[in-house]
Formats: sequence, structure tokens, C-alpha cells
Amino acid sequence: MKVRSIIIALAIVLTPFIIGMLLFLARGSGRIPVKAHLSTDTRRNNEGMAYKGIEVNWTFYSDWKYKPLFFHVDEYFVFVFHYTNSNAHDVVLMPSYTFVPPGNKRYSANEEISMYIEDGIERTLNVNDQTPITFKLSSNEVKDYIVTFEKSPKLKQFYVDVDIWKDVSLRIYYRKIDDGWEYYKSERVNKYIGRG
Amino acid sequence: MFKKIVKNFGPEWGAVVMGTAALCITMQLSSEVARGFSSLLYVGLGFYLLTTVMLITFLIPWTLRFFMYPEEIKKDLEHPIRGNFFPTMPICFILAGTGTNKLGPMLFGPWFAYHLSIVFFLLGVIGIFTFGFLLVRTQFLNKEIRHEHANFSWFIPPVSHLIIPVLGACSMDVYWAETSLAPVLFIISMIALGVGVLNFFFVGAAIWHRYIYTDIPNGKLASTTMVGIAPTSIIVIVLIKFIQAIEASHGSLFGINFMSLFSPVKIIASVLWGFSFWWLVVVIILLHNYIKMKDHPFVFGWWAYTFPLEAFVVATGLLAKCVATSFLHGMLITLNTLVVAVWIVVVFRTIKWLESGAFFKPQH
Repeated sequence: MKVRSIIIALAIVLTPFIIGMLLFLARGSGRIPVKAHLSTDTRRNNEGMAYKGIEVNWTFYSDWKYKPLFFHVDEYFVFVFHYTNSNAHDVVLMPSYTFVPPGNKRYSANEEISMYIEDGIERTLNVNDQTPITFKLSSNEVKDYIVTFEKSPKLKQFYVDVDIWKDVSLRIYYRKIDDGWEYYKSERVNKYIGRG
Repeated sequence: MFKKIVKNFGPEWGAVVMGTAALCITMQLSSEVARGFSSLLYVGLGFYLLTTVMLITFLIPWTLRFFMYPEEIKKDLEHPIRGNFFPTMPICFILAGTGTNKLGPMLFGPWFAYHLSIVFFLLGVIGIFTFGFLLVRTQFLNKEIRHEHANFSWFIPPVSHLIIPVLGACSMDVYWAETSLAPVLFIISMIALGVGVLNFFFVGAAIWHRYIYTDIPNGKLASTTMVGIAPTSIIVIVLIKFIQAIEASHGSLFGINFMSLFSPVKIIASVLWGFSFWWLVVVIILLHNYIKMKDHPFVFGWWAYTFPLEAFVVATGLLAKCVATSFLHGMLITLNTLVVAVWIVVVFRTIKWLESGAFFKPQH
């Protein structure tokens, strides 16, 4: 191979790695701003919910900022759900999450955005996000799941449904007070189980 | 010079973009495995940007050739090997759309990325169905095609249809689940899945027949054997992306229930992944045979070693979300390293091949 060809080939194969390294370093050095304010952590006052031996707590960041490389900063709602199994036996969890603003249109969690911000959250809270769709929870074990929802600027209140049980959902309510978001109640909502 | 490039810019060049594009997804999946690998997400972004540059660069001569040299296009379409490579460029749209869906939010934010990926989806669908019909017509009406022409590049048209639901399901997963576009994405994806799966069986039987009853292809076609790993790998990807789309639709999409479907999907996906793994061993056995016969020269077709293997890596990464997570995570990292190594080797050999002037001597 001629030297010129080797240089061209090297340029092609190294390009993705060099771009990747530059972006990784840029994110790591904080040149691309990522900041957030903790709004709720139910683990502090034992505010979580327990049902059928599974305790659910959550940490809520109401304004996790994320800046796409070529676009402006956007804010996201970030929940980190902490699951504890107080049963004597193992359980397998398959959680799903729904965000519902007024008007009852239902939105699913944005896994892609979670992926980009999870390093920061894992470092901040010292947790480990679960990636499988289902995961096993041994007795007395705690596992964490990061959930991100897109945030509309005019939003005043919303609730989030957490589905991990067959018969009920955990519904968590938030409302806007001044510039912050207040957690004001949570409840168990029965689910329809039928053939329809 | 440019005219000469356009004239010789065969349909197979889409395979280069395909082989590069899928690496951004394998990197993204590998980055999820453990904190130590999270930087791979950014390498994936690098591959995504490289893919975009390649796609735009290659699309210009590829498109111009249709207008400037229609007789060359006709000749290629009727060729039993090269003709099958026409859908590779529309496949690139689907792959670029999938990359945009997964990595685009990091660059452009979710709204723009998810809309752009839909544009790629529609362009890909139009191209894949158009070439699918053209190639079937050509094969059915071509009196020159014989048993001994069958080879694994014939899998490319079925694979092109199978890949449509990958982006269809990805799009339904995060953004379009509860919109009026969801039924459109669903129907197009299911039609393409049906076409892809059944054509995979029909074409597979023809190729199997040839491999058993006549000689196996010469060493120039050795790499096409790897294409056989792709269909089942892509079906695994489709199944798992589809189940994720149902999950994102709050457990029920068009009345298809997540809870009732997830267990069978785990079994079927594992079985199909198993076939792909078995086929990888078959490829190694045949490759060993070609090397032993000293009949494995570099040809442009070596790009067939990249994308199908990468599809298998993506299938491994997604299956790890459902079953045997620790074991498959180990395999994912190992295979991801392997596909990068294969890609680097093929890039170097392609540059050497271009240096030799082989680009201007197409073999019909």
C-alpha cells in the first residue's frame, strides 16, 4: 500500500474514535452544561409506597438540563425509582412508566435521553441504572431505574403512573408552586383486568 | 474523471455505508453494559457522523448514474449478484434513520431527531419496495438465471424488507406511539416483515439447493455466506424493538398486550439468535475451507462481512435486555470488538483495492 493510501485509511478508521474522544472529553469537562435541582427524594422521610412486599421510592429532578450538541438546552423531568424487595423470595420486575399532563394524553418515558444523562445521575446519586426490560430483585435487594420525560414549558401539574404490579399502579402527583415542583400526593390506582 | 466515477459507481457501494452505520448502534448498545463502557456512546456518535458523510457522498454518484448511465443500471439489475445490491442504498436510509432515532437526540434534541428519522423511514420504504419489485420482476423474467447463480447475496432484498420494521418499531417506541402516524408505521412495518420473512424462506431454499446440488460459489463470493446470519438477527431485533414499542404504549399497542407477548418473544428471539450463532460457525467452517483452498481474494464483496455480523451484535445486545443478561453482555462486548476489527481490515483492503484501479474495471 502506498503511504497516501495508508493515511486515507487511517483517517477513515480513526475519525469515529477521535470524534468520540473529543465529545466524551467535552462532556466530561463540563463545557457542555448539565445541571439539575433535586426536588423530591422520598427515601428521606419514608414517603415511598409499599405493596405486596415491594417498596418503591423515587428521587425527582424537576429540571435536569441537557444540551444536544447542535441545539439549545432543554429541561427534562427525571425520576430515579428505587425498588426494594422485602419479600423472603426473589421477584422479577418489569416496570413501565407513563407521564400524564392535564388533558389525559399519555406519554411514555424517553429512553434515549435517559441514556445520555444516566452517567451524571448515577454519579450524583450513586446508583446503577437497570438496562434490561425485566430484572430480578433478590430478597432485601435494592435496584434503581432512571426514567426521563420531556417537559412542556407551560405545564402546571402532572402525574406519573408506575406499573410494576399486575392489579394496581402507583400514581404520583406533582404541581408547580412558584418556580419549583411540589410532590403533593401519591395513591394506588386499581387497574382494569379483563378480556377487553 | 467524475463521469468515470459515476459510470462505475455500482450498487454495491451502499454496503459500505451499511457496514459503517450499524457500528453506531453496536457502540450505543455496548455503552449501556457498564459504566466503564459509557464512552462508547460517543464513539457511536462518531460512527453516526461518519455514516452521514458517507451517505451524502455516495448518494450523489449513485443517483446520478440512473440518469447518466441507464444502460449500466439495466446491466447491473440483470446481474445475478450485483443486482441484489441495489436495495443497499435504501437500507442505508433506514439505518441512518435508526441512528438518528437513537443518537440524533444527543445532537439535535428529540423533536428534530424523531421527525428526521421519519423522513429517512419513508425514503427507505419507497426505495426498498421499488427495488424489491424490480428485482423480483427481473429474476422471474430473466431466462439466463441458473441454479448455480444462487448465492447468499440473494438474501439482500429480503433483508432490506426485514429492516423496515426495525425503524418502524424504534419510531413507535419513544415518540410516535400514541400519534396518528403509529398505525401507518405499524402497517408498513408488518407488510415489510411479512415480505421479508417469507422471501427469506423461499430464497433460502433456493440457495440451500444450490449449495447442496452444485458446487459452492468461488472464493470471490465467499463473503456473501455471512449474509445468511442477517435475516434471523434482524428478526430478533424487530421482535425486541416491537415489544419495547408495546411497552412504551403503556402495555398495549393496537390491542396487542405486552404481558401476553413478552414471554413468547423471549423464546422466539432466543431460538432465532441461536440460529444466527450457529450460522456464524458455518461461516467460519466455509471460510476455513476457502482459505485452505487459497481461494479467498479481496473483492469489494468483503463488505458483506461487516453489516450482517453487526446485525448479529445488535441482536445480541437487545436480547441481553430480555434474557441471560450477564452472559450476553460479555458476548456483546467481545463481538463489538470483533466487528470493529473486521471493519478496520475491510476499510484498509478497500483503500488498497481502490489504489489498484479495480474500481474502474467492474466485473460483469
